[in-house]
Amino acid sequence: MSQTPNPAPSSSPNPAPAPAAKPATIKIQVDGREVEADPKQPLIRACHDQGVDVPMYCYHPGLSPVGSCRICQVEVAAGPGQPSRVVAACRTPVSPGMVVQTDTPKAHETRRECLEFLLKNHPLDCPICDKAGECDLQDYSFNEGQGKGRSSEPRRKLEKRKSLGDVIVLDEERCILCSRCVRFFQEVTHKPQLTVSGLGSRSTIATFADKPLSGNYQGNIADICPVGALTLKPFRFQARVWNLSKTLSTCAECSRGCSITVEALRGKEVKRFRPRYNPQVNQHWMCDVGRFAYAPVTQPLPPEGSIVGGRLIGATIRGYNGLERVELESALAEIADLLRASSKPLVLLSPFVTQEEARAALELCASLGVAPRFVSPAPNNLKDDLLHTGDPCPNRRGLSDLGIAPIEPAAALTELASASAALLVGERVQALLGVAELAKLTTAARLVVLDVVAHDLAALDAALGVPTHVEKSGQWINVDGHVGVLNVAVPAPAGVAPLDRTLRELLEHCRAPAAR
Amino acid sequence: MVIVQRKELTLAERLYLPEIFRGLSITFRKFFEKPITRQYPEEPLPTDEVTRGQPRLVVKDDGNIACVSCGMCEIACPAYAITIDGGETDRQIEREPKRFEIDMLRCILCGFCEEACPKDAIFMSNELELADYTRRGLIYDMEKLKRPKSALQPRIDYVYKINKRWRRTQA
Repeated sequence: MSQTPNPAPSSSPNPAPAPAAKPATIKIQVDGREVEADPKQPLIRACHDQGVDVPMYCYHPGLSPVGSCRICQVEVAAGPGQPSRVVAACRTPVSPGMVVQTDTPKAHETRRECLEFLLKNHPLDCPICDKAGECDLQDYSFNEGQGKGRSSEPRRKLEKRKSLGDVIVLDEERCILCSRCVRFFQEVTHKPQLTVSGLGSRSTIATFADKPLSGNYQGNIADICPVGALTLKPFRFQARVWNLSKTLSTCAECSRGCSITVEALRGKEVKRFRPRYNPQVNQHWMCDVGRFAYAPVTQPLPPEGSIVGGRLIGATIRGYNGLERVELESALAEIADLLRASSKPLVLLSPFVTQEEARAALELCASLGVAPRFVSPAPNNLKDDLLHTGDPCPNRRGLSDLGIAPIEPAAALTELASASAALLVGERVQALLGVAELAKLTTAARLVVLDVVAHDLAALDAALGVPTHVEKSGQWINVDGHVGVLNVAVPAPAGVAPLDRTLRELLEHCRAPAAR
Repeated sequence: MVIVQRKELTLAERLYLPEIFRGLSITFRKFFEKPITRQYPEEPLPTDEVTRGQPRLVVKDDGNIACVSCGMCEIACPAYAITIDGGETDRQIEREPKRFEIDMLRCILCGFCEEACPKDAIFMSNELELADYTRRGLIYDMEKLKRPKSALQPRIDYVYKINKRWRRTQA
């Protein structure tokens, strides 16, 4: 039953999504409605597919059901008029003609009793807990609970801040022992690292031999934790979740292009990347490399009065006194003159440019009479059989589909050294080529850079700022040919225009008769 | 058309002076009574625990701020006057505010923050005066908002009294 993400053969040229064979369904009745249910799935899935809300803690659609929390209890009868009983919906298979009622007093009563036991030892530190606002225990207590504890005994005291490696902190008091995290490592990464240790009320989640967690998928257990027991160290106490604006986007750290949600504090500051369910790409999961890749999208603005030392904003050209900010129009005219003066300017795209930006770049290159290429660094050693492809180019497939050829950074630098003029376009293009190597280029080469970060390169003649991948909308094509959509999650800083618009304006200037 | 019949004045009224003296007698009498005007800046208004002045943050007796930056007041504030950024602390209570700002120009002194606070960390003080040369100066940061618990104690006791129905224990 477990739904491990497909370790699809990523190298296959065109793995068209297999036409979903319609599974044989059986008819059951959920809350008075005749519905079709997949017999391979537990009853709770049939209810959720119908939009019927059945609470769950230990059940997760990406993991096998264990039925340990008992919160998903519903009233089930074998057929109409048959005697009914309360069962756990996650461990009950569907059978033909089954009559399911989720909203009966008996079902609510059993859930309330379950909640009372779960809340018996759960600390009421919601004001401190990072999960507050997206906590299943909070939500269902609000819906089903009784608002008042009957227990007069003190709550159990356990460790509040237990570090489980570099990524995860465990709060043993908050844990409700749903064992989702335990099953995640057993069933998704297939490298068991956690277990439930101890007996009775002293049971806790622990790693084997108290070793810290390892691997590239630890962050997922904080996502699937239904309470605030497992929290991410980088996100700990950073923001209240209701202050985070959530934008659908795509992860940029490898060519898998996992569907993610970009969460920004008050719509301004990126605080968290979370995986978003996509059955064709990443299921429910994402890797830690992508999850914690905030640094490239949270570059600070340069210090007041300075051009380098942070984001590249506005239009910059090299004047007599070094780099200086100028009006966009004059910078575009300058760049157009520079590119037209060169017989064969070298145009290098970043593998981070979207399809829309790549098309604009192709139009520009057609007018200049050159073919653009994209910088394609060597695969890194992060490749695994779950999600990470080891290829740091998120839009390699899309750029290749547009007929843009890859070029190794070393070869690109060799060509740059001999080129009369070069245009480097896109997020992280300088970093992928190597900032130190670019800085070694002589001032004879004429270099135009459209990047996110400003570097004081000796050869730099003009530079324009571009938005990062969380500041623009567009499309990437992932390694298997699935479209990943980017949306504007945070506004680009003032003076940074969308890259495709900048390229088209540059094209207009290249087509216009020379000003001088 | 309406014809208004004017009232015929009596002799005393036509003489004018008797009415003047009657009026002046009131004026002169008031000279010797206790004045009711308050000389405001020098002579401030009396306040008590019922006064709902500007919100202030409680500093507990151990010197630590009571706030855990849970964000309840921020979300309850109808004027969006409060901004909180939390962070981790080594104290037993794991979370504390790193930035707590109240824009006093926005604050409408409604007291929702006081009501929302689960940690008894923000209370309406009896401070009502608000003046500065810049707008930025009226966005109060944590240092300007901190008050020792003893200074807010009358208000704390009053809030406990009026909310007795909903509170189970008294801190």
